[in-house]
Amino acid sequence: MRAFDFAVARTVPEALARGGAGTAYLAGGTTLVDLMKLEVLTPRHVVDINHLPLRGVHADRDGLHVGALERMSDVADHPLVAHPYPVISQALRASASPQLRNMASIGGNLLQRTRCGYYRDTATACNRRTPGSGCAAIGGENRGHAILGTSDACVAAHPSDLAVALVALDASVLLTGRAGTRELRLADLYRLPGETPHLEHDLRPGELIARVTVPPLDWARRSAYLKVRDRTSYEFALASAAVAVSLRGGLVRDVRVAVGGVGTRPWRLPAVEEALRGRAPRPEVVEAAAERAVAGARPLAHNAFKLTLLRRTITRALLSLTE
Amino acid sequence: MPDTAPRTPVNRVDGRLKVTGGARYAADQLDDRPVHGYLLLSTVGRGSVRAMDVAAAERSPGVLAVFTPARPLRLLGRGNAFLIGHDWLPLQDAEVRYHGQVIGLVVAETFEQARDAAALVGVEYAARPPAASFPDGIARATDPGRVNGEPSVLSLLADGVGSIDEALATSAVTVSATYTQPIKHHNAMEPHATVAVWRDGDLTVYHGTQSASLTAGALATALGVEPARVRVVSPHVGGGFGNKIPTWAHPLLAAAAARELGRPVKVVLTREQTFTVTGHRSAVRQTVTLGAHRDGRLVAVRHEAYASQSSSGGTFEASPHTTSRYLYRSENIHLSQRIVTLDVPPPTWMRAPGQESGSFGLETALDELAAELGVDPVTLRMTNYATVYAGRGVPWSSKHLDECYRVGARRFGWSRREAAPRRVTDGEWLVGMGMATAAYPAERFAASVRVRFAADGRATVSSATADLGTGMWTVLAVLGAEALGLPLDRVRPELGDSTLAPNIGAFGSGATASTGPAVTAAAEAAKAELLRLAVTHERSPLYGADPAAVRYDGGRLVGPERRIGFAELLGALGLAGVEATGSAAPGPEAGRYAFTSFGAHFCEVRVNRFTGEPRVTRMTTVVDGGAIVNPKTARGQIVGGVIFGLGQALLEGSHVEPETGRIANANLADYLLPVNADVPPVDVHFLDFPDTLFNPMGARGIGELGTVGAAAAIGNAIYNATGRRVRDLPITLDKLL
Repeated sequence: MRAFDFAVARTVPEALARGGAGTAYLAGGTTLVDLMKLEVLTPRHVVDINHLPLRGVHADRDGLHVGALERMSDVADHPLVAHPYPVISQALRASASPQLRNMASIGGNLLQRTRCGYYRDTATACNRRTPGSGCAAIGGENRGHAILGTSDACVAAHPSDLAVALVALDASVLLTGRAGTRELRLADLYRLPGETPHLEHDLRPGELIARVTVPPLDWARRSAYLKVRDRTSYEFALASAAVAVSLRGGLVRDVRVAVGGVGTRPWRLPAVEEALRGRAPRPEVVEAAAERAVAGARPLAHNAFKLTLLRRTITRALLSLTE
Repeated sequence: MPDTAPRTPVNRVDGRLKVTGGARYAADQLDDRPVHGYLLLSTVGRGSVRAMDVAAAERSPGVLAVFTPARPLRLLGRGNAFLIGHDWLPLQDAEVRYHGQVIGLVVAETFEQARDAAALVGVEYAARPPAASFPDGIARATDPGRVNGEPSVLSLLADGVGSIDEALATSAVTVSATYTQPIKHHNAMEPHATVAVWRDGDLTVYHGTQSASLTAGALATALGVEPARVRVVSPHVGGGFGNKIPTWAHPLLAAAAARELGRPVKVVLTREQTFTVTGHRSAVRQTVTLGAHRDGRLVAVRHEAYASQSSSGGTFEASPHTTSRYLYRSENIHLSQRIVTLDVPPPTWMRAPGQESGSFGLETALDELAAELGVDPVTLRMTNYATVYAGRGVPWSSKHLDECYRVGARRFGWSRREAAPRRVTDGEWLVGMGMATAAYPAERFAASVRVRFAADGRATVSSATADLGTGMWTVLAVLGAEALGLPLDRVRPELGDSTLAPNIGAFGSGATASTGPAVTAAAEAAKAELLRLAVTHERSPLYGADPAAVRYDGGRLVGPERRIGFAELLGALGLAGVEATGSAAPGPEAGRYAFTSFGAHFCEVRVNRFTGEPRVTRMTTVVDGGAIVNPKTARGQIVGGVIFGLGQALLEGSHVEPETGRIANANLADYLLPVNADVPPVDVHFLDFPDTLFNPMGARGIGELGTVGAAAAIGNAIYNATGRRVRDLPITLDKLL
């Protein structure tokens, strides 16, 4: 860990005044401290934002609002979340471990770094960590890596479960910076790696996520998050699916499908949704729709199984809501 | 005489210390205010260190020294796969033998200072491509010569049979399959740690070890000091599994640096470092071919294996010689072991070394044969039940494996198993049942114990053995209390110190079986000494009594006219204590019997029909381990062993990059160990057949037994659930899609 100076911000303006290049905001610290020990992240300044008033869970006619500094475990258990949006609660509870969920913030979760082992090892090549150094994962160990949205520069999977659920629900984030605040669809926050995988999102220097808003969606009560992994708990997804279904008269009136563990960012699947609308969700219909998930997928040496796994994960998740 | 009634479960005597944080492990020994060492490891897979730029590190805050091949610490002698773990000593040359090899030690006032300075060291290598691929190395495998004291190629053929192939050719039914598994790491919860302290030329080393005496010997040799001046202290060890038998590089460097700097030095490996600075289990590729009569009687067992080995030496996995060698009766048995030498860290013993992999091969092959013949897997095993040890012609001292099958099948509900695969579903889950045999040799080593009656009314029972979380503290207390007729709370166990009564330590599942008889011997010797004093010491109330008329009974000496507690006697004599040492060792019985602990696993799994995740939902394990000293900690041993097998079956594997020799998943997020949510209810049942031909207390070892066969039982259940036979471990969901 490189030497850094540390400050505690008491107000948002104070935090923003300290923000910018070379400064890292510290919330739960469950990613940042880890990566600083590995010298993957070497900020010169660390600003503790845990005292900022970016808290609270409430709902109004614009939907559900969650303060960015709320802890994952609190949000998972919150009655305004668990009942109307099971997919959010389930995604949170499937994340990490209880200890980590007690510490990690909602904003931090959305901005967590990839678990690619090469990103975390400074002795290896990684364009995301060290632009221009290459990608050791493409020819290396890549069973857990992405098959969607990859580039020749980076194949790292986005690690967040919560982000998958929120993208399915069309959530947005309220960003606050020195130039003011702005609202952005969460799906638009994340960038594809392309040639510049080190640019992970569209936050401006020093900008903070203040709040997450989930628009009203009464039929999200019929929603679920399915996370498939080798180990029953405490592991990142090999494939996951956030799904919500609205049924009327035995037909799919509307549906949301987003997937994780397979994309370089949380991956909404409008083509799968389109194939289901107006249809009876019989297994063969669902399976045929799920086929569309892997259009354009680029498997690597160790993760070709994700083509099948992703389709089956989507099918299983949807059938769990409709059968 | 042994007490043959089953013993009462006893809580760990060290339990309170552990759950309150009071137990001091090696890294907790901070009384001497050590400075901190951080190891530097190579980042190339083969070659040499051409130059190291240490200037920035040396200028870094708090740094006391940076030791490198160019500025080595002086170590004597040479490496040793048994004592050190590899055939070289650290920093004595510039060679890089594998990725992650020790190439330096940075010592600073704090851990963070040492770690940060280590990141500033620049290393220039002359790198060569390593040979790190096990599959690629199979073609140039070599013959290790001998395996477990027997030839690496061993044929036990019936009269008139010319070769194993001939026996297979005449078999009515044959099955043959190849089974593979990757290298695996022990990943004990406590990482390897050492604190080295010199005082007036005497060295005290706090070091988590399975053998304080072996560690002390290795340190004395490498540092060039008298063995009597080295003391290794290791009261608590947070898991060993074989990987804390060798000393490895870090204590040698810690002790040498402490001597050079005149400061106590502490070195704790990071989790990542434990993957390459210490050992692992070999990768294995094995082919098992079974030939049988139509009724299931085995005609031939051919078991051929390749194991990975390191160019730095080490102890490879010997699958056939530890399993097919003796487990079933067969007219013909053929074993073959070859090794594939790679530029990787050295393998070492890992819980059930040989049996872990070998049982997966053999017990899966038997399941394949049962399916081929259409017979029940338990019936097939009973059909081939061995009553004598193949090729030696000796019987087992005590074998109740048949009872394990019977009791296990009943407790588990084996009769409800559908013989044909893929017949049972539960919602979106396919359900299956499988079973396998467990067997592990009962080991016994020479051991000594000292028993001391103290004036405070308590008795100390001490020996230089180790408790790896295994329950040895409690075993010493229980056996001491029995031998002395004292309540448990009047017995003070002591272990984990090389200066205690000689004891090789904890491995081979032999600690209890070795130490127990010595407890009895020491207790008898101490009682005799107490009696002698009682009748010969002038101040004794029993002075002058006829020795034959005085007996020891439950902490008291009972004479013709009066009885006196030992505390009172010692008080009257003005003595702080009376002690004696007793020893025990295996005798001639070793030539007349085979000694083995047995068991049977029964397992139920569920496999998701969409996404393929295999999940174990319950297990029953029945154990024939002789007399059980403490059923509570013994159950922990078996459950832990089964979980070890669950990891083998479903999760664990270290991914060595073939091009670089780097281990790609050297951390606990990517190296998947079972978590609590993966572990089902495990029903453990002990048969209680004391094996007094093995040792007087009738107890065989059980520390490794639970692992043997567990993975095969799980794999066989997955076959029953899905109809898929996965022969490449771990059985991950991608192989079941």
